[in-house]
Amino acid sequence: MTRFILPTVATDGTICTCAACGHALGPAPWKRGAIRRDLPLAVAGGAAYDTGHAGVFLCQFICPGCAVLLDTETAMAGDAALDDRLHLPAAAN
Amino acid sequence: MDPMTFSIIRHRLFRIVDEAVITLKHVSGSAITNEGHDLMVSLYRADGTLLMGGVGFLHHLTSAAEACKAIIRRFQGQIGEADVYLLNDPYTAALHTSDIYLVAPIHHEGRLVAWSACFVHVTDIGAMNPGGFAPQAVDIYSEGFSSPGLKLLDRGEMRQDVLDTILNMVRSPEMVSLDLRSMIACCNVARDRMSALLTKYTAPVVDEACAALVEQSETLFRARLRALPDGQWQSRQYLDVQGETARVVLTMTKTDDRLVFDFTGSDPQSRHSINCTKWAALGGLFAPLFPLLCYDITWNEGVIRPVTMIAPEGSIVNCTRPAPVSVATVGAIQSVNNAACTTIGKMLAASPEYRDQATAVWHANHFAIFKFGANQRGGYSIGILTETFAGAGGARSFADGVDIGGEIPNPISRMANVETVEGAFPIRYLFRRRAPDSGGPGRYRGGTGGEMAIVQHRAPAGGIDYVISGKGARHPMSEGLAGGYPGAPNSYVWVHADAEAAPGSADRLETIPGTPEPVSWGVYPLRGQDALYVRWNGGGGYGDPIARDPAAVAADVTSGVVSARAAAEIYGVALAPDGGADSAATVALRGAIRTARLAVPEAAE
Amino acid sequence: MQKQDSPPLSYLVATDVGGTCTDTIVFGSDGGIHIGKALSTPPDFAHGVLASIQSAATPMGLTLDDLLARTHLFVHGSTVVDNAVLTRDGARTGLITTLGFEDTLHVTRGAYGRWAGLTEGQMKHPVKTDRAAPLVAREAVVGVAERVDCFGDVVTPLDEAAVTAAVRHLVQDKGVEAIAVSFLWSFLNPAHEARVREIIEQVAPGTYVTLSSDIAPVPGEYERGSTAVINAYAGRITRDYLTDLASQLSARGYAGATMVMQGYGGLLPAAEAADRAVGMIECGPAAGVIGAKFLGDLMGDADVIAADMGGTTFKVGVIQGGQLEYAREPMVDRFHYIAPKIEVVSIGAGGGSIVAVDPVTRLPSVGPRSAGARPGPVCYGQGGHEATLTDVMLLIGYMDPDQFLGGAITLDRAGAAAAVASQVAEPLGLDPTAAAIGIYRIACAQITDLIREITVERGLDPRDFVLHAFGGTCGMLAAAFGEELSVRRVIIPYTASVNCAFGLISADVAHEYTTTRTLGTATPAAEVNAIFAGMEARARAQLLAEGIEPHRQRMEWSVDLRYCRQVHEVTTQVHAAAPLDTAGLARLVDDFEALYERKFGKGSAYREAGIEMTAFRLTARGLMPRPKLPVEEEGPADPSAALMGRRPILDLTSGGMAVGQIYNFTLLRPGNEVPGPAVIHTPITTIALHTGHRARMDRWRNIVVTTDAPHIDA
Ligand SMILES: [Zn+2]
Repeated sequence: MTRFILPTVATDGTICTCAACGHALGPAPWKRGAIRRDLPLAVAGGAAYDTGHAGVFLCQFICPGCAVLLDTETAMAGDAALDDRLHLPAAAN
Repeated sequence: MDPMTFSIIRHRLFRIVDEAVITLKHVSGSAITNEGHDLMVSLYRADGTLLMGGVGFLHHLTSAAEACKAIIRRFQGQIGEADVYLLNDPYTAALHTSDIYLVAPIHHEGRLVAWSACFVHVTDIGAMNPGGFAPQAVDIYSEGFSSPGLKLLDRGEMRQDVLDTILNMVRSPEMVSLDLRSMIACCNVARDRMSALLTKYTAPVVDEACAALVEQSETLFRARLRALPDGQWQSRQYLDVQGETARVVLTMTKTDDRLVFDFTGSDPQSRHSINCTKWAALGGLFAPLFPLLCYDITWNEGVIRPVTMIAPEGSIVNCTRPAPVSVATVGAIQSVNNAACTTIGKMLAASPEYRDQATAVWHANHFAIFKFGANQRGGYSIGILTETFAGAGGARSFADGVDIGGEIPNPISRMANVETVEGAFPIRYLFRRRAPDSGGPGRYRGGTGGEMAIVQHRAPAGGIDYVISGKGARHPMSEGLAGGYPGAPNSYVWVHADAEAAPGSADRLETIPGTPEPVSWGVYPLRGQDALYVRWNGGGGYGDPIARDPAAVAADVTSGVVSARAAAEIYGVALAPDGGADSAATVALRGAIRTARLAVPEAAE
Repeated sequence: MQKQDSPPLSYLVATDVGGTCTDTIVFGSDGGIHIGKALSTPPDFAHGVLASIQSAATPMGLTLDDLLARTHLFVHGSTVVDNAVLTRDGARTGLITTLGFEDTLHVTRGAYGRWAGLTEGQMKHPVKTDRAAPLVAREAVVGVAERVDCFGDVVTPLDEAAVTAAVRHLVQDKGVEAIAVSFLWSFLNPAHEARVREIIEQVAPGTYVTLSSDIAPVPGEYERGSTAVINAYAGRITRDYLTDLASQLSARGYAGATMVMQGYGGLLPAAEAADRAVGMIECGPAAGVIGAKFLGDLMGDADVIAADMGGTTFKVGVIQGGQLEYAREPMVDRFHYIAPKIEVVSIGAGGGSIVAVDPVTRLPSVGPRSAGARPGPVCYGQGGHEATLTDVMLLIGYMDPDQFLGGAITLDRAGAAAAVASQVAEPLGLDPTAAAIGIYRIACAQITDLIREITVERGLDPRDFVLHAFGGTCGMLAAAFGEELSVRRVIIPYTASVNCAFGLISADVAHEYTTTRTLGTATPAAEVNAIFAGMEARARAQLLAEGIEPHRQRMEWSVDLRYCRQVHEVTTQVHAAAPLDTAGLARLVDDFEALYERKFGKGSAYREAGIEMTAFRLTARGLMPRPKLPVEEEGPADPSAALMGRRPILDLTSGGMAVGQIYNFTLLRPGNEVPGPAVIHTPITTIALHTGHRARMDRWRNIVVTTDAPHIDA
């Protein structure tokens, strides 16, 4: 049965998939199977995001199958990606 | 119990809180209480547990419960009828010293049966900076008067020596006296109305109804939790003060009918007054939890029982004495409630049944700016810029966030008219509007924040001064959801006027003549032709921006809330000469964005 | 009523167009009162007006034309503006405002416009809240360079070329038919707005224009601008409606004047009302309060709570010390506006309110959803299948299935019982009668809580008040919630069914003028007198032009005062003789302080900061002749001539069903007294009495309910 970790990411308890195209992202954490793109804030979202300070990024997690944006995070260099996952009884995910 | 009587008592408890709030606002008469709705009134059971939370600043509901319990512990055996107690020590229960709790027992036929508690942000508390937020404080000792619990009224009689001692320590004793009087009036109304209810229905029946009400909330909340998926969701907030960055890190784990909020991994406490104590952190996480998960459930102890918080000692969300905390309500507490809003939003969005209840983060970053000085009418004025209450709505799974639409933890705030501010302070606004590109891009766009600029105007002293506790100009804090971007961060700019240039009718930051300098923390002047520009954050977006309806993007460009550049680069929407979306060019732009996304090598973190 | 050989009769006709019904009351010069009713006919309301007058004329033995030919004055109230706003049926409207502040209207002072007008339950659920769809599209707002400061001085002159371009853009590109103009501080210096009007008249003649400094010359740019927008939006519809109504009446032979009710409870000649659409908002409910005040004055009751409960809404107004209460933050739909308006608070609770048990909380509730007029309650047999409060009233014996609306409809008791059983009783595990009784108690408790909140909000104690109960549903509940509120008496007025129309004929012509200026209380009295003198000169000329001679003119002064650094302003009447001297001004300040403490509670005054005056208000009245209500002398107490029978009814005092006496209102005589448990059926409602209640018919045929029980505070 399909369940969702986020509206954009589904899981069957073992393998996580893109909810839009079904592309397999692998076992949890699903972000390992996504494309990660770190955009410096200054170029991420137009002038309003350009704070004049480097070191802050808009991280994008992208589906390799359909290029949909699965999730975003605000991050500083070196901070680990956030780990969202379901706890399903059936699988050691 | 008889469902009809239960329904009537429940409704009446709700109205008692309402009447008490009206009384509080009436007597207080201050702008922060009346416009900002920066207040709270709630009812508690005899043991201090939450019975009925009102619609106010919601991060106070649980802390005031702890305040009741602290008073019960301290004054056990000496609690008399019509006593009123004061507590504002953050290391005991309060959020920061200027949010004073008054806690009052309610007796019936000689027995203690319930408590009422309320707070307002008092005009001043004698901290090193005026107004209660003290960006320059180095420890709790420099943040003004603080009490872990004292008896202010003894059986209805004011303890004048105690009151005079408090008033002796604050800058604006008349206003603080009025603030206290408004809370006393509020306690009196709550007590009188509760007495009438107890007389009509008898104490055992009311008590049974109260127990049932708590029970019902717990049952309903646990059932709701069971309907949501089991899992963990994480979020992270950066709190920046003058280049020093502190992290609030949250892992929320939902198992069956229980929720654990674990802040392990958050940074150690800061030397700046943005820290919060553990009761404040607990309040911070419940502030979004009540309206997001319990919108149709009575807010009481029953909602609190299934929730556990883990907050490492000595961290920014559970600081140890004597760390300064006066900016907590707009500092670590707000970050806690943003972090909780994100994880709760993710959990709701993970459930197809509850997805329409999910929201990206609203207005994540208050900016406390207190302006003070001689005014144009021969008096002296002090007050907060109420734009900090104006906020911005987070995007939802079905709609955009509300532009300048407030915030979740304080659902019914508002900001003052420009004419009200200009009438009270010797300042003039150059502009005040929705800030372009501030709403987090997404399939549904986050609500915009706003931007404004002020100059002094005919100030007798040549200008005024202001205290600014404006952290967070380096990081977006209103996180997006499901691929939506965060809202743009705050910005505070002091434009130093050039020799002769007058601001005239400059209508945006770029056209104010002079040299811009970012400011964020401390006390600054606003004099001569200088201008203060403030932009506040937008709400987070929901979903992939290139999935947004091109017509909606074009309409946003027309009304000035999205730039043509952002439309092209983020939303992938090309505009036709008539201002509508050019569909062919939009398809091409969006294709190019997809290609660019896929061009990044697949990378493990 | 009519005699063949009497001197020629003349009539005063008053018609109130409400959301559902259009009510008419006709007063003859012989003292006769005649009532008419018809359904309202939106959007062509004039049709319903004529039908309503017709329905009053027919029982008088007159044709519509006969009646109108003998009518010397027509007084009118209409929901036309409320309807235009609620249905978004107004003109395509643009807004010209100060450059840099173009978003003010749409941003609604932050969250204010998102939560204002919502129930507490909705406020607690912010994810599902939004602003109302605006009356002006954001792209139809244009900012132009200009600026006035807080002293009324020009900081930046008006860019007239920009105004011309803005008008062209709005009219030609955006197709607007109406333009609102709202600049910062225009209420202190309206020159820029006035100049914009001139430019619009040159560039786009025929465009409907509203200036914020004309329609609402008071501080607060969001509310003032919103007022101008609402007025521009509904302006043309209002003007067309009043013009059309006048021509239809005159085609039927009416040659007299038409006066139009305003939300502040005063009348304006139709020609003036046509340009002040916002003035007509909620004028019907305001008239209802005016009617209650008239009755209160007549009966010697200065403190009245006027409660009106019909099919869908419960409305409450408060009269205190003979004074009307004005709304602080009036709204239409969910839009704020500033205009003097009598405060009438309404909630969704009426006979059609759906009673249900929440599937999640298993809590029983009444409303706010309503079955409306269609399909209506289950017992009406019009296809309604959700149980309503009216169905409950039938089950507890308060309605006679065979005598509803004079027997026009036979109520379906079995259907009502089945609906209440399956939708309320079974989910709660109660028997249907117990469930119905419980719902009645909840309805009483909710109304009690609402009235308490409204009175507390004003610093009042319901125990000092008399309660007037209007509308078809109110009589069934009023004695019960009146007792819980411990009001002094409950009165169901004889004219209860057409109370708003009745209010129309108890009103005066009234003009409201405001001058906004902040002055300390040490200001010389002469300066204050000069402000009022200017307004009075305008007012007297205006009244004279309306044909109101000086001896019928009354000037009432009031001043808004506040404690410095406080937000609450209190409008305080000037009691001293005008013009004021130093002592008179001092008395004004004393009155303000007393009023402030009464309104906001003991200890709320902040004298240390000083007191300032912020606005000067003139109410200029043109007194209208008052109708004389017919009086019958009170006779014996014995009501047995009106007794129709007995049947089981709910008696709240004993907690269950009891055998009650059933009376026919039309057969009761003044002086008759009816003890509870009993019900009195009137042509439009039922008055329910519980054990311990006593109803008496007074000499105006009002029903006065008192209680034997000592006051129990709820
Ligand atoms: Zn995909």
